[in-house]
Amino acid sequence: MNENPMLPYLGKLVEVRNLAADIKLFRVEMSNGGGEAFRTFQPGQFAFVSAFGLGEAPFGIANASGRGPAVDFAVARLGSVTTGLHELGEGDIVGVRGPLGNWFPMKKFKGKNLVVLGGGIGGAPLRPVIQHVLDHRSDYGTLTILWAARRPDLLVFTDEYDEWRAASDTNLHLTVDNPDEKWDQNVGMITQLLEKVSPSSENTVSITCGPPIMIHFVTKMLQDKMGFAPINNYVTLEARMHCGMGKCGRCNLGEKLICVDGPVFNMEEVGGLLETFL
Amino acid sequence: MSKPAAERKRWLISQVELEAWLDGIANARKLIAPRQVSDIMLYRPVTKSVEIAWREQMPVSTHTNRPVLSVKEIFFPPTERLFTIQKTGQEIHLEETFPDWETVVFGVRPCDARGVKLLDALFLDTNPVDSFYARRRGNTTLIGLACKEMGSTCFCTSVGGAPDDAHDMDIMLYEADGGYLVEAVTEKGRFIIPGGEWKETSTKPQQSTYSGQFPVPEKGKWPEHFNDEYWMKISERCLSCRACAYVCPTCRCFALRDEMLAPGEFERIRCWDACAGENYRRVAGGHKPRAEKGERLRNRFYCKFYYYPEQYGLGAASACTGCGRCIEVCPAGVDITEVLMNLEKPA
Repeated sequence: MNENPMLPYLGKLVEVRNLAADIKLFRVEMSNGGGEAFRTFQPGQFAFVSAFGLGEAPFGIANASGRGPAVDFAVARLGSVTTGLHELGEGDIVGVRGPLGNWFPMKKFKGKNLVVLGGGIGGAPLRPVIQHVLDHRSDYGTLTILWAARRPDLLVFTDEYDEWRAASDTNLHLTVDNPDEKWDQNVGMITQLLEKVSPSSENTVSITCGPPIMIHFVTKMLQDKMGFAPINNYVTLEARMHCGMGKCGRCNLGEKLICVDGPVFNMEEVGGLLETFL
Repeated sequence: MSKPAAERKRWLISQVELEAWLDGIANARKLIAPRQVSDIMLYRPVTKSVEIAWREQMPVSTHTNRPVLSVKEIFFPPTERLFTIQKTGQEIHLEETFPDWETVVFGVRPCDARGVKLLDALFLDTNPVDSFYARRRGNTTLIGLACKEMGSTCFCTSVGGAPDDAHDMDIMLYEADGGYLVEAVTEKGRFIIPGGEWKETSTKPQQSTYSGQFPVPEKGKWPEHFNDEYWMKISERCLSCRACAYVCPTCRCFALRDEMLAPGEFERIRCWDACAGENYRRVAGGHKPRAEKGERLRNRFYCKFYYYPEQYGLGAASACTGCGRCIEVCPAGVDITEVLMNLEKPA
């Protein structure tokens, strides 16, 4: 690591493509020591990406380490940094600081069924989990993916759904709040879809990421209606972090810091604290 | 490492000797001491001891002789550059600058030295080490000045400190008959004491007057008060102005941002921030956790007495040094001692 842990590595954008409306996928090839730092990373970890001159923001790493040397980030154009990133193209240089935070205990999940629930861009940090399971398919039981967005054009990784569906013992369920005329999948909130799919909690862990309010209702439903134990009910949280190393004080959830104690938690760890996150 | 009081060497020096010593330090290193700046007292560089604000007012005894901002700003400045960014076409060049000058701070109050110690737990003792803080801390010697008595808003004795606590200093000065008793607390401090020229003494410092002690709820009692209506009630007064955090010796929230220096040239800076701010937690897309003023005010108190001690292993100690600055600076009368005493009241 650099002496100054706030100094980013430099990385080259080797691929920039539209993922959904105002959401782009950035594939970064690391240089300047960053290659070593990002040689391996775990599903659920995050990193800061700099649009130099505008600042940096934290993003969940969107690919599994085993899928090649590059690092993927899904970026929704929302603020100044993300708008700056959207203006960049292939060959441009970004800063990357990481990998940071904890990760989904994929080893502990071995032999279990997984229910993965992603809402909007919240699906991005779950893609490495899906990729990891598909790449180690026999290590895990049934993979059930519940994927939601407000509109069809906000669904992320649509071009990978065929790969997910084609994998053995893997189910993908899609839903949107506001369908267009071409939409032929479920309509409604992810909680409605969850109720319909009603996964068994037997030997199963759930992993949820999305807007805070979705995390709140989905984790509650998994526990109250489907009998998931809090310890098997996993979430990955985001906050407006600035350092990602437990220093800047911005991302506390009670006495926990999302950046170093998380971003991955189970509900036994944060169930009582989630209210302060809403 | 600070030496036990019994093993510390002491010297008795006059006002003249003190000034000569400080002048010598100012010649060789950067000397920072309380200075009068636009009618307020701040820790600022001085080139001669005559510029030190409280020289005329010594002996120092009341809180009004405590600088408005704590020594925190010397180690963790309100704004600092982390690196510069040069953009040439698609090329990016980053350049770092680290602070590395030798500094001596004179006139540090025990509450402020304790504040630095508490910040060490975060910036030095918890990985990764903050390279900027670590360099400043390593290159700085703290010369303390005991408060003879406590000021009207001081409550260091209620949170584990004392007006004459030398623990977190490198050198401690106590007022004494005919001048000052100088105590070498650490090796680092001993290093800048011109021992040979001074009169060594076995006299012990006279204890300061302790006052205003009250019980502060211990860490374990905080969780049960989280949903007290009191937080929403007391926050009616709060203006979310964040002044309390800026004057606090231990509030350390910061933000990182890029600023333009010239076309194609930028700097990434770190600047103070505070959890009382309405947009402090706003995330992309506009969602704002802790939208209520009461939630934010509560967070500040929980951070001081529960979260920070839990996060950075302070044991039973809190992250409050009892300096009383937040009480003085609050334009709306939010008084930390009132809050603490209220929590101690039986429900």
